[in-house]
This record gives sequence, structure tokens and C-alpha cells, in this order.
Amino acid sequence: MKLGRKTFSITYTFILVASLFISVAAQAQETYRARLSPMPTTPQTKDTITGEGEVFLTLNGNTLSVSGNYSGMSSVATMAHIHNGPPAQPGPVVAQLVVPASTAGEVTAELELSDELIEALKNNSLYIQIHSETNAPGELRGWVFARN
Amino acid sequence: MKITTIISSKAIRRTLLISSITVVLAACGSEQESAAPATTSAVAELTGFETQVAQGADLFATNCAACHGTNLEGTTLGPILSGNTFLQRWGSGTPTPLLNSIQTNMPPGGGSSLTADDYLSLTAHILSENGMDTVTESLTASSDLVIQDNVSAIAARRQRPAPPAPEGVTVAGNVDDFVPFVPVTDAILENPADGDWPMHRRTYDANSYSPLDEINTENVGQLKLEWVWNMHEGDSEPAPLVYNGIIYLINPGNVIQALDGKTGELIWENWAGPANRQDMRNIAIYGDNIIQATTDARVIALDARTGQQVWETEIAEFSKGFHNSSGPIVADGKVIQGLAGCWYYIPEDCYISALDANTGETQWQFETIAEMGQPGGDTWGGLDDVFRAGGETWITGSYDPELKLTYWGTAQQKPWVPVSRGMTIDDVGLYTNSTVAVNTDTGELDWFFQHVPAEALDLDEVFERVLVNRGDEKLVFSLGKYGILWKNDRVSGEFKGYKETVFQNAFTNIDPDTGEVTYREDIQNAGLNEWTSACPSSAGGKDWHSMTYHQPSGTMIAPLSQTCLENAAREVAMVQGSGGMAASRKFFEMPGTDGNLGKIGAYNVDTMEEVWSHEQRASFHTGTISTAGDLVFAGDLDREFKAFDVNTGEVLWKTRLGTVVQGHPVSFAIDGKQYIAVTSANGGTSPRAVPDVIATEIIYPRWGNAIYVFSLPE
Repeated sequence: MKLGRKTFSITYTFILVASLFISVAAQAQETYRARLSPMPTTPQTKDTITGEGEVFLTLNGNTLSVSGNYSGMSSVATMAHIHNGPPAQPGPVVAQLVVPASTAGEVTAELELSDELIEALKNNSLYIQIHSETNAPGELRGWVFARN
Repeated sequence: MKITTIISSKAIRRTLLISSITVVLAACGSEQESAAPATTSAVAELTGFETQVAQGADLFATNCAACHGTNLEGTTLGPILSGNTFLQRWGSGTPTPLLNSIQTNMPPGGGSSLTADDYLSLTAHILSENGMDTVTESLTASSDLVIQDNVSAIAARRQRPAPPAPEGVTVAGNVDDFVPFVPVTDAILENPADGDWPMHRRTYDANSYSPLDEINTENVGQLKLEWVWNMHEGDSEPAPLVYNGIIYLINPGNVIQALDGKTGELIWENWAGPANRQDMRNIAIYGDNIIQATTDARVIALDARTGQQVWETEIAEFSKGFHNSSGPIVADGKVIQGLAGCWYYIPEDCYISALDANTGETQWQFETIAEMGQPGGDTWGGLDDVFRAGGETWITGSYDPELKLTYWGTAQQKPWVPVSRGMTIDDVGLYTNSTVAVNTDTGELDWFFQHVPAEALDLDEVFERVLVNRGDEKLVFSLGKYGILWKNDRVSGEFKGYKETVFQNAFTNIDPDTGEVTYREDIQNAGLNEWTSACPSSAGGKDWHSMTYHQPSGTMIAPLSQTCLENAAREVAMVQGSGGMAASRKFFEMPGTDGNLGKIGAYNVDTMEEVWSHEQRASFHTGTISTAGDLVFAGDLDREFKAFDVNTGEVLWKTRLGTVVQGHPVSFAIDGKQYIAVTSANGGTSPRAVPDVIATEIIYPRWGNAIYVFSLPE
């Protein structure tokens, strides 16, 4: 069957709308991940800056959902943040995360990101840092990258 | 009461912990008396030196013992600080150079909390532990006493229990009893037999490529252990040498062994000394001789048949800090040898030496530091010659017999950060961090290309130079700690291209036409004690583990490492005898690698594009070799020795050894049967220390140096 102009137009419109919906849905489901590992260490400090973790981040519009876990820290967590800095270059705090006062636990947050921070997220320029009682400057850290 | 001078530092420390000494009177009477001992109080009148020693002991335990051992015995992370080795290095001088060295360089992770007095105390503790006990006055930065003149019986007693070190041939034998020895000619070295591996990278072009193909992608999975030989313990990164079925093996402590390659039977062993636990990466063979460099900067020829010494030449003064960790290449009848340990502010600089291979007589020296009035001498910010340091050649070069040029990489300026050396990012410091092409007849510089001028992060470009011919192009490839694969014309030095093999953020730009690099602004302007964060770390995107060029596929396959560092410059006194490295460092995982420290990357040498890569948690600690069987071999921190498909990177075979697989694999053949050999080893500097602090879950024995030989079943 040869498609008439109207049929073609309706079909085309449907495909276009569907594509846009899928595209928006895909955009709404942008997912990211950070691997948490010890802050910079030396032979003298490697046994006192410890732990690991994994955090998943989902961007819906401007809303960033943060959910992950950590374990093995040398002392209980005191606070956690998202910082703005390109890979391997420390930068300022831009958001607060929630962590329990424990050496292991969950990292969570529901954040509204500015367009500027969304840009930073897409440029791999955000990182997560968890501070602890004995490592106030930070014990675990990990840059956020898009999931493959 | 003055405490006797032979009191131990531990005793002094206990004394300091209490305000008075409680003397328990000898219980000559009944047990009832001892239950209520009489006491008397006596204030210990410690001398100024003893007080420093006591304080230094505590500071050492907190800040130094993790690397240098509780008893200064050294670990894989830091050298021994006691005994003969220590006194040879520091004994003839005053404490000031030692103090300066400690204050400038230690601890590597940062010393911001240590005061000048603390460093004096640490120095006093180390000297006391080495038997300096006739001193009473507090050490100062200008104490003029000579260390060895004040060392008495304590140090001697500590050393006496050790048996005298062996010297010379300790196991006698003759290679001729196994296979008739054929003297090694220039023609043999220019075109080795397929079954030989007669120099550190098998051929002059440093391709680390074997034309043997009995072991290939189809059957490599059947590889079995043929034999294993335990080596001497100590720091070790060896490249075995195989000629006519005999393996010549450099062990720690300047020990060479000749082994029957078929059975692993020891034929002869020679101890050239000093009998330490230090590392030497490779040796050479030429004429009738095995030629080795020693850790105290000598070059020695041994009869390859028997191990007897033939000649010996001192190429630099060990007492001035010069030493070697890599051996020579023999090119056009000359032993070409580099030099390390050139980081002190002294009149002498680093150089490459050429010795007559038959006599050891020095033919020429090429200095890697341009002095005032020489070409390039105006690139050191006007510094007096005595303060121009670095430019070590601690990895052996390669050779083009047609061009009569030997190609070497040079290390960076010292100290590590421009502000520490009284320079700026514009003071490029020729001929550091460069490729230098030196004429083997004259020792004259033919051309140079400085890859990273004014280096600022302890990331040197000193490693192997791999010579590749593509059509009419004669190329030289190198890959330094920044992880950048450089391609240059080896006739002219002209820049031909580059490829970033791991993440780096030290440079904001690399000019695609010239190769000129631009440092990040904060690195350019880093001040004293300011932390700078950058990738890769001083473990190197690539380090001493050499890459291989697989000739059939036109692929360069490199062992790479993915870690980062924070670096802070320290102040260095601009006085003669000072110098050093002078930076604090901390280390962390490279972002975006998912914690994979180890990477093998394969690159098309024409397009410079990555063909494949293999990433894993454990860092790699061998060079890569490739074979005509389309295989690549490499070993890692987690004790695994692996064979990869050279075209895809697929792991086709692996086995697990006793400890870290470290050194350089080789492939050889005897009676038509192909073998693969590799060493397991401990020790090493940043490439071992950095994974040790990041991948702490990887556990391996701290001993177990050995050579393993594999083959296919009959």
C-alpha cells in the first residue's frame, strides 16, 4: 500500500512524537556513577585513610537522586558533599549529602541542580566526598562519570 | 650523674618519660623486701645530643619507620639507614648533608608538622643508631664533627654478626662444559639468532620482540612450568640475557649467575660487590665477556665462560651520590653506560660514558647538563653550575648501527619542582627530560628533543627508546611518566606525533605540530608547600617497565599505570652539598578508571590510535614482550603472568607465581624448542610504593625473587 499524504503525515507525526518521548525519557533517565576510594594517602597514612563505596546518581530534569553506600572507613562519617572540580582537581562544595554517623552506611540525597551544575555533571566535574571523625578533610572520594 | 655514652636510645627514651629514675635496689634479702622496694630519686643529666636522640627515636617511629623499618633496616619502600651502606654514603662528612637530605626529602608524604629541631633530632637518632656515641653537644645545622670519627663500638658490634660478604667467583664452572662458547661479535648483536636474547631488549632497536613462533595463539594455553630457580633476595627488576642456551642473570647485590637454560642448573656465580640488596636491571654480553654496571658506579667485565673478572672501571664516585640501577648496551665495540644519583648540588654532573669493551678504558663522556657558556647553558635561569642537577640516564638506551647514534632518555631537573630549584617554569634546563641522540664514535650530541621542559611533578621521560622503521621513515618512540607516547624522526629528532595513553591533566595543551606542552597554570605557579593535584602520579603513566614493538602488526604495546598524586614542593638550601628531590607526595586512584591501576595499551604506530587495551586492578610490573606467535607477555602485582593475543588483547593464558611478577620476560630457544622466562621479584620505588598504598587489598609475599621458565609439553 502506498501511503497517502495524510496517512504519511499522521504516521510521521506519531513517529516524531514517539521519538521525542523516547528521547525525553532517555534524557530523564541519565544515570551516573561514582566509585569511592580513599583520599590521597602515603605509606604512613594508608592504614588510617580507608574504605570504599559506590554511588549511583540519576538525573531527571534538574532533579538529581543520589543513592549509594560506603564501608570500611577508619572512623564514623561526619558529613558528605558533592564538590565541583574536574577529575583529580579538588574544588568547592556545591551540595550536601546525607550519611549516617557510621563507618559504613548509605549515601543519599535528592537535589535540584542549577543548569551550571548539570553542565559540570556532564563534564565529569562533580565528585563526592565523605568526611570522617579522624579524617576531617575527607576520607573517601570519587568523581562522577556517566554510566556506560 | 651523667648517663654513660653507650646507653641505648630506647633507654634514654624511657628515662625521659619519667621525671626521676626509680632505682630498684637489688633484692639481696628476702622477697618481702622486694615487695616494698626502697627508692631513690636521681635526675638524669642527659647531654644535648642524648636528648635529641631520644626525641628523634619517637619521631622516627612515627614518621620514618613505616618505610625504613623500626631498626633502620630498610623495607621495600625505603632504603636501609644503618651499617656499612649508610656509613659509606654519609660517614666521611659532617651531619649537615644528611640533615639537609632528610629535611629536604623526608617524609615523602609531607613533613609540615616537623620542625627544624625535629629534623635535628631525627638526624641524631639515625647517627646514634649507627654508633655515633662520643658526641655530647646538641647537633646544629652547622655541626662540624665528622660522622665516622665519632662512631665507636656499637655500630661495629651490630655489623659483626653478619658473615663477611662473598667476593668474586663463589661457584666455579665453565659454560664450555655445557655448550661451546662462541665469542659475541658486532654482527651477532646486530642480527641475533632467533633463539637468543643477547641484550636487555633483545635487539639494538629495543623492540623486545622475539621471532620465535612455536608458542602461539593456538597453543599458548598449554604452557607448563619447565623449571624455577630462586634468586638472591633484595630489590630486583631484572632482564635476563640468553645467549647460545645459557641464561646470564643479574641478581640483587651485584651478583651474576650463569644458568643452563634447558635445565636451570647453575654453572657459575660471581659477586662483584658491594654485597647489598640493591637493584640492577640489566647486563650486556660482548666478545668473551659479560659486562655489568654495579650499584656503586663501576663497570666490570667478567669472563662469560667462567665468571672470572677481566677488567673494572670506576665511572663515577659513589661517595658523591652517583650510582647505577641499569646496566650498559655495547654498541660498535663500546660499552655505553648511563649514570644515576645526580641530584646533589656538587660540581660534577651526570653523563653517559663510553668504555672500550675490551679494556674498560674510557673513550668519551657526554654530559646531560648544559653548563654556563655551553650550548643550552642559558636555559638554567642563570644558576651557578653547581646547582644544576638531574638529567640522570637511569634506563639503558638503544642504538642504530647505520646512523652510529645511540638514543637515551634523560631524567628531569632536580629538585622536582621549579620553585625548589630556584627556577621558573620558563627555565627548561637542557638536556633534561629529553631524547638525546649521541654519536657513538665521538660522544657528540647529534640532536635532542625535550619532551617536557622545566618538569614540575617528578614525571621523567627517561625510559627506553624504541626504534621503528616504517617505509622510508626511521622513527624513535618513547613513553614517559606523563603517559604520552612520543614519535620522533630518529635521523633529525623532528616531532612526528603523540598519543595520550592514560588520563593526564598536567598539560592544558599539547601542540599537534610541534609537541610543545603547556602546563596547567597552578602547576606553573606552584609555590613552596602548596599542594598540586595531578595525573598521572610519579609511579608513571609508564615507568621503567619497557614496551614492545610487534613488527608484524605495526603495534606498540605498553605496560601502563593509572594513579594520581598530590605534590608539594619543599625548600632546598642553595648551598653546595644540598639538592635532592624536595617534594611531599600523596597518592590516589585515577578518576574514571574504576580503580584499575594496571593497563596494557596497544597503539598503531602509523595512526597512533589505540588498537586495544586491557585494564585490571593489579598494576603491571614487567615490561611487555611480543613474539612472532602473535603473543604479548606481561606480569602483575597480583602474581599473575599473562599471555595476550597481540591483535585483540584477549588473555589467552595465565598462571600465578610465588610473588609479584616483576622484571622483563624473555623468549629463547634451545635445540629448536621455544621457552618463555620471567622473574618474580620485590623492591622498587614509586611503581611499587604507589600501588602498595592504593591497592592495599592485594597481598603478596615480601620475598620470593626467582626466575620461572615455561615451555610447551613434549
